[in-house]
Amino acid sequence: MKISKTLIIIFLAASFIGFLDAAYLTIQHYLGVVPPCAITGGCATVLTSAYQKIFGIQVALLGAIYYLALFLLTIAYLTSGRKALIFLAALATPIGFIASLWFVCLQLFVIKAICFYCMISALTSTTLFVVGIMIIINYRKPMLTKTAAQNNITK
Amino acid sequence: MNNYESHRQEKLAKEHIARKKRFIYQIALWLSIIVGIGLIVGGMIYFVSRQNPALINSSATIESAFASDDWIKGNKDAKTILIEYSDFQCPACAFYYPLLKKISEEFGDNLAIVYRHFPLPNHQGAKPMAYAAEAAGKQGKFWEMHDMIFDNQSKWVAQSQSKIKDIAVEYAKSLELNIEQFEKDFGSKEIEQKVEGHYRDGIKAGINSTPTFFLNGQMLQSPRNYDELRNIIIQAIDENF
Repeated sequence: MKISKTLIIIFLAASFIGFLDAAYLTIQHYLGVVPPCAITGGCATVLTSAYQKIFGIQVALLGAIYYLALFLLTIAYLTSGRKALIFLAALATPIGFIASLWFVCLQLFVIKAICFYCMISALTSTTLFVVGIMIIINYRKPMLTKTAAQNNITK
Repeated sequence: MNNYESHRQEKLAKEHIARKKRFIYQIALWLSIIVGIGLIVGGMIYFVSRQNPALINSSATIESAFASDDWIKGNKDAKTILIEYSDFQCPACAFYYPLLKKISEEFGDNLAIVYRHFPLPNHQGAKPMAYAAEAAGKQGKFWEMHDMIFDNQSKWVAQSQSKIKDIAVEYAKSLELNIEQFEKDFGSKEIEQKVEGHYRDGIKAGINSTPTFFLNGQMLQSPRNYDELRNIIIQAIDENF
């Protein structure tokens, strides 16, 4: 059974948008640009808070690497047709989802400021998680219904 | 048999070519992806780091003259006036604070720097600290308090609103202010209205983030670093000569 094309395209798009978003924040940070404090949001507060780093590494940089890895795995799946690749990417999505959930909670309850860019990232990682779960279900189905031999033939 | 053999070889050759084609296709694809991502990242780096070509936003202006109760650093009679709308709790304002100090030292009598309040609604400590600076100003130590608040921003920023007043009083003590008077001024209607007035004027002038600078009445698109700010001020001073 083939994994739905729509799912793959959503997965590809979400990881790409997530990458652009995180890469932008990473670049801003390493070039020493300080975001101004806007009336509508608290990017400066969030991005300069103590929570912007984990083990001394920029959260935005980790995010950019995560999204890029998912994006490349999806491309690799599309060109090779190896389902294990997209399955691996789908398995990684809970990590991004839990991290995003954690950062949204931090913004709401601890830092008490909302950053637009971080919210975009929360949205993309949630999309990736939902689609990832669907891909896993899609991937498992043929295994459950067909014998291994049949599965090999369909490959 | 011979026929079969040649057929098989032909098939193998075809497969070989197809495999080669696939291989080349894969390499071309991955190369273009790597180049594409490199271009995107490079483009973003260029976009973030480029010098701002149009630093002056001519559509947003403010009255460049001083108000009688403005806090002015530098020469009050200077022809070049830099007005800053700032929020004591804003990390970006704290980032610009040492830059402005340096600007003030560098330009000396050629420049007047004005501090006005723009306490953002999502910064609960911004207003109390603005009151504290104004109350210190009543005793002639506005800039001393201003410096102290920014120097210690990271220490008080996470405190609750009620604690912030205590911290402000501590700062007042270390500046050797009359504490009774300070506390009275801190809660006074006059100071509250002054801060509120600055905020309203700022909104009217189209401010939506802090810090926002007006150079001779014209809004600057936030300069990204010291040199950008310095260059635009030099330009303005030259024009006034």
